[in-house]
Amino acid sequence: MAANAPLLELRDAVPSFEESGLMPAPYNLRIMPGECAVIDCRDFERAAMFADMCTGMIPLTQGSIKFMGLDWSTLYDRQLNALRGRIGRISRHGSWLSLFGTHLNIMLPHLYHTTDPFDHVVQRATELGHTFGFPGLPITAPDRLSGADLARAACVRAFMGRPDLLILEDISDMLPEETVLPFFETMTAARDRGCGVLWFVRSTAAWHEYRKAVNIHMRLLDEGLFSLRVV
Amino acid sequence: MTENAPPPPEQEASGVLAQMAPPEESRDTGRFATLAGHFAPWLAAIGRLTRHQVRFTLLLIGAGWGTLRESLRPNSWRRPVIYEFRATLRQVIGGGFLSIVITATLAGLMVVSQAAYWLGYAGMAQMTGSILVSVLVREIAPILVGIILMGRSGMLSLTEIGMMVLGGEVRGLQARGIDPFLALVMPRTFAFTVGGFTLGMIFAVVSLLMGFVVAHASGAITSSVWTFFFNVLVAMTTWDYLIIPLKFVLVGFFVGLGACISGLTVSSNDTMATIMPRGFARGIMLVLVVNILFMLDF
Repeated sequence: MAANAPLLELRDAVPSFEESGLMPAPYNLRIMPGECAVIDCRDFERAAMFADMCTGMIPLTQGSIKFMGLDWSTLYDRQLNALRGRIGRISRHGSWLSLFGTHLNIMLPHLYHTTDPFDHVVQRATELGHTFGFPGLPITAPDRLSGADLARAACVRAFMGRPDLLILEDISDMLPEETVLPFFETMTAARDRGCGVLWFVRSTAAWHEYRKAVNIHMRLLDEGLFSLRVV
Repeated sequence: MTENAPPPPEQEASGVLAQMAPPEESRDTGRFATLAGHFAPWLAAIGRLTRHQVRFTLLLIGAGWGTLRESLRPNSWRRPVIYEFRATLRQVIGGGFLSIVITATLAGLMVVSQAAYWLGYAGMAQMTGSILVSVLVREIAPILVGIILMGRSGMLSLTEIGMMVLGGEVRGLQARGIDPFLALVMPRTFAFTVGGFTLGMIFAVVSLLMGFVVAHASGAITSSVWTFFFNVLVAMTTWDYLIIPLKFVLVGFFVGLGACISGLTVSSNDTMATIMPRGFARGIMLVLVVNILFMLDF
């Protein structure tokens, strides 16, 4: 990837309506390394679908989506998976496997994509766990954790492994008050080393305290993605 | 002046085409198009039905090949994949052990004691070994092991993966760059393969042993247990040494693969009430097909 190339670039990307349910409108977005784009979207499902589209999971009928200079549509499965491994993601639904404990759920992507020693991975996850208010790594099954603990665990997992892009769906309604500041700090630290952020929010309250650090503000509607002025 | 004006380009082009194409040929083409229009829906319906019927078979062949090919790549066996393999193997062998021992005991009581009794009655006691090998170990054991594997572990895998697909967890895995085929299908299929072989061997030994105990106690067999097992081993041909383990391995492989593929291919309209019967029917079919194929060839 060239030094001044965009990290994520949607160029007139028109998603397949049958596969996504998103309106087949051209979407344009460009996030440079270290930038933070906040996208207002009241519909969780639409936000999740758009996030899926940005990670190359939805076929396009027109246009292109490039991440780190690579067009998703030109990559093979292994390349696709390896590239998706560079994205830290917070999802509202369907992201916890009941087969494993929460600790394994948190470390699973990192253990899958890297050969880092297991102890290092555990140590890093525990440190992030402390940052987000856990006494250690939760080992119980995810379906036995409260919403607040699941939100904390989702943050730990998203920030594990120095991702190049963070795609964050809105969990502000579940995230405890005392975790908001560590969340902003960890996000800023990630941005400082060049990580881009695509942050979906439902209301201004979710990102109000972070507004000065936001570079791009857009609104995702049925008709497409519209730029708004950053306040 | 208007009479001499050139015609619009579309009219000109269609006029040229009309002059070029002979009228009989265009009539033939039209007739063919009408005929094709009549038959096309029927042909499409037949094609849809055929594809629907063989879809699972084709999926199974493709996934089987994919599983074998991917398993040979060293970087397919990543840490979560190995973890999943171990967890499934524990579940398959641990969950099926008691059922296998009980079923093998019952089968041994029925088949070995009956065979020993009736063969002795008919004056063909020397055939006991070969009859037991061909009936119990080669034919009955793989079927029973396959059914127990499917009931104890295959249905569990099918339900787990099916629910993960319906709950969006599989999509969540894909969003994080984790290939569900590598993370779920491949390790589970190989765990079933190893589990099938292990449980099959346990079944064979326990059923023969229990049969011997009963037959010895009733006086149908008077030789020692060592002589009994020696007779069984002597009665086995070279092919039996190959085919019997191969049957256990293949039954395990296809039960595991069939369950995982059935789970991965559930649609949003599916519920437990549709997933389970379909998976059970496919599992039984696979167990029988593997055994029947071997019966035909050998």
